[in-house]
Amino acid sequence: MSTNPMHQFNVYRIGPEISLGNVDISFTNASLFMIISALAIISVFFVGTKRKTIVPTKIQLLTELSYTFVSKMISDTAGSKAKPYFPFIFSLFMFVLFCNMIGMLPYSFTVTSHIIVTFALAAVIFIGVTIIGFANHGVGYLKLFIPSGVPVVLLPIIVIIEMISYLARPVSLSVRLFANMMAGHTMLKVFGGFVISLGIIGGWLPLSFTVALTALEILIAFLQAYVFAILTCIYLSDALNLNH
Amino acid sequence: MKKFDTLSTRLKIAKKKANKNSFTNNKNNTSSLGTALKLSTEMVAAVFVGSIIGFILDNWFDSKPWLTIIFFFVGATAGILNVIRTAKLMQKNND
Repeated sequence: MSTNPMHQFNVYRIGPEISLGNVDISFTNASLFMIISALAIISVFFVGTKRKTIVPTKIQLLTELSYTFVSKMISDTAGSKAKPYFPFIFSLFMFVLFCNMIGMLPYSFTVTSHIIVTFALAAVIFIGVTIIGFANHGVGYLKLFIPSGVPVVLLPIIVIIEMISYLARPVSLSVRLFANMMAGHTMLKVFGGFVISLGIIGGWLPLSFTVALTALEILIAFLQAYVFAILTCIYLSDALNLNH
Repeated sequence: MKKFDTLSTRLKIAKKKANKNSFTNNKNNTSSLGTALKLSTEMVAAVFVGSIIGFILDNWFDSKPWLTIIFFFVGATAGILNVIRTAKLMQKNND
């Protein structure tokens, strides 16, 4: 086991090297853990929806709760127009949540602690929301960049500022998730390293910190998935209802 | 009969209280932590995007370093705008 706190984020190849043209598409540990989380989601929901009893079993309760949770979140933030996008936001929320939570298990790999993964998710959302906006409002979607009641003199600079703030969305969305996950896991590893180096006498304090941090990290893992999903809802609401 | 009446009303009040307490507590905890996590990146992202745009335009027009500097400040403005907007949204959600 390496004591380097960044060692846990290494991506390495599993199995043979596969390349498509110049692009390396080999199967890595990141791909493995993405597949594991996807399979975990599928199996939980398969078991949870298999036998629908009136008095729900624990897994059925879990699936029903997560359904109502996301459904309420969408209707609260984006309104009834966003109902058709429920499957997308639900899968997004579940995928991020399961990646975060599976990353909390010892010896596992946190997929969401890599900016390329979170940025890919955020870019898909950004492009999708922009397309939805233009499809629903046509050229009128550009009105998003022109807030109402701005004097004409200020308009050029306001439009530039609005455009930058629009373009900053995928960056802030992806950096938030990535930074939180990476910082948390690094911190856990650093405190874990302190336990070893301080030994049996001084190691108890960092050990208690590690326990507390683990609880905090589980909260953050959930919260970041929630924030990711709710911001997607807010962007979607901008595209559907054209308001700020 | 009277005893039952008072019991049921007392139960009702207690339930209402419990509901209210758990609801507000829950909301406060998650939202205040979420606020701290959400606002911090909002600012940085806009500055970053602004600077990148400035840098690209600089390369384009061969005007180093002026557009990068200008767009850095425009990005910072956009970041402040984003932070205020998010804060407003949170306030509205809390009420």
